Amino acid sequence: MLNTTLLKKLTYGVGALALLLGLYGFYVRLFIGERDVNYGSYVVWGLWVAMYLFFAGISTGAYMIATLDYLFDIPLFKGTGKFALWGALVTMPVALMTIGMDLGHMERIWKVYVQPNFFSLLAQMVWGYTIFLIVIALTLWFTVVKPSKNTLLVKVLLSVGLFLSIFLSGGVGALLGVNASRAYWHVGLLPAQFPVFSLASGAAFMLIVVDWFLVRDGERRLQQIWVLSLLTVILAVVKVYFLWTDFSQSIYGGIPDNVRAVNEVMFGRYWWAFWIVQIFLGTLIPVIVLLQPKLAKADSVAGWMGLLVLIGFAAARANIVFPALSVPELQGLATAFTGPHLNFDYFPSLLEWSVVSGVVGLATLAYLIGTDRLSIFKAEASK
Amino acid sequence: MTNVSSSVNRREFLKSAGAAVGFLGALSAHPEAVIASVTEQTSAPNLQASLSSDIVMRMQVELQKALKKSVKERRWVMVIDLRKCVGCHACTIACVAENKLPPGVVYRPVLEQEHGVYPRVTRTFTPRPCMQCDRPPCTPVCPVNATYKNDEGVVVIDYEQCIGCRACISACPYGARTSDFGYTYTEGTPVADGLIIGQNVADDYERAKNFEYGKGYARPNEKGSPIGNARKCHFCLHRVKEGMLPQCTTTCIGRATMFGDANDLDSLVAELINKPNVMRLKEELGTEPRVYYLT
Repeated sequence: MLNTTLLKKLTYGVGALALLLGLYGFYVRLFIGERDVNYGSYVVWGLWVAMYLFFAGISTGAYMIATLDYLFDIPLFKGTGKFALWGALVTMPVALMTIGMDLGHMERIWKVYVQPNFFSLLAQMVWGYTIFLIVIALTLWFTVVKPSKNTLLVKVLLSVGLFLSIFLSGGVGALLGVNASRAYWHVGLLPAQFPVFSLASGAAFMLIVVDWFLVRDGERRLQQIWVLSLLTVILAVVKVYFLWTDFSQSIYGGIPDNVRAVNEVMFGRYWWAFWIVQIFLGTLIPVIVLLQPKLAKADSVAGWMGLLVLIGFAAARANIVFPALSVPELQGLATAFTGPHLNFDYFPSLLEWSVVSGVVGLATLAYLIGTDRLSIFKAEASK
Repeated sequence: MTNVSSSVNRREFLKSAGAAVGFLGALSAHPEAVIASVTEQTSAPNLQASLSSDIVMRMQVELQKALKKSVKERRWVMVIDLRKCVGCHACTIACVAENKLPPGVVYRPVLEQEHGVYPRVTRTFTPRPCMQCDRPPCTPVCPVNATYKNDEGVVVIDYEQCIGCRACISACPYGARTSDFGYTYTEGTPVADGLIIGQNVADDYERAKNFEYGKGYARPNEKGSPIGNARKCHFCLHRVKEGMLPQCTTTCIGRATMFGDANDLDSLVAELINKPNVMRLKEELGTEPRVYYLT
């Protein structure tokens, strides 16, 4: 198996390559415009929105995991909190960057702060994320950079952060779920699922960090990996249960738009993303591997499984966003008028893939450079 | 039979001859009065009758009447008689021309559906403007209040306020909003002087301001909008304010689209929306559309 130095070098390399591939996308989107995307007026949200859900999930989930160390003082997780917090701090701006690219007028984002409609979930989320980012930074400051002796202050701060991480995760689900016109999204379960998805994302992310990048210093680390593995497995099974309740209810209910969206996920043009990426690679394989202590604790295996779970989650987010929008609101709408971006058949364009590659590279490099260069992580490295 | 017929013909002949003599006599005595009376009885009265029976003229008169009321007293509604729609798409094209809609942006497509099995087949045409819902799902989702119901009950968009998040497009159950990605119809066409005008002159038309919301937006302009914005049908408010019917209503060759103030109980639209064969799209969602269909 690969040692931590080699794994880190490999991750640096992949991150740099991903960022390089993303430069094209950043340039086109920022200096030329939005025309080369494949989402449009019918499938209004595409890969970038799915990736925003994905990164926001990692950020809020990583914060939840950090509370195991700083809020609940669980001895086993001592020392892992700052790595989780740094992950939360790095992935949230990346999530916002991805969703920002999706705006027709990103230069007007300030209006959400100055002239908000607080009834809109989107406005609530923008404000919520901003406050959350500040809370993450403050938490890092008072727990790691300049540890505060006022434990009450730190606990209150972490409680607020934990509440926000749950509220914002659920908010993402509600953002989609409040659309009564989209039968596939408009189920009460949707907002309830997302905090679970976030926690699962956070656990998978920490599996990678603990297994690949932290010093391999014996039994305690293996115990951390084992507990994170079990947490990941349990949450993966809960996610499958959510899928079952969602899909079975839709199919038994028989509401045509809902059934069409479910069929699109399972048997449509993205069947492979569901069955192969989300279910087989992202759920089945990690569950089987992580349930076996010897395999889970073997060098770098748990990290690979964490990566698979995250890839599965990325596919799952896409499978929530696209199919609901691929069902025409009215019969005959698809062919009533033709033109650019008037299409219910969506597949991300090169520009969209490029931007996603860029933000993945950016997040990866930012995380690694931070943990390698920032003084707060130096002690851990030397230990 | 031959005899009877001859006798009738003879009688008719004598009657016509007598009338002709009488007419000529009167014509020589009072020529102007006779011509005036003939004109009155033939062409002029028929033309008048034809005009007054055209529902567009009636709606025009009713529109003038509604405009005299205060803004909040009006209730603009549209009625579309599906039995009269022939699927010519003239309304779609007229709307594109009126609002200078670029490729990919459409306010009023006509949905076509085929029903039945050959040889018993039929087609239905459903024009779909914005429903101008009284409980619109698209407005509360806007993070910056860029889209709202105005005082006249029409759902409008403030192009300078819109951040282009497309949440409103996603929320609309009727697919009535589209996003402007900044295309023009003339791009990609030959730039060299054309036989008639060539692209350089032809696309002046596309760049010139439209009249939406009474402001007018050139393409492109320094603020970018409406490129990057969500766009939608607004019942041609800019025309209505000037006393003109929405372009789709004026253009409908089958007189299938009616527009007016439903608060005027004598108006055509008020009369029609109380008929038993009226329906609204996706009524079950409770959005209370202001577009009614006659089936």
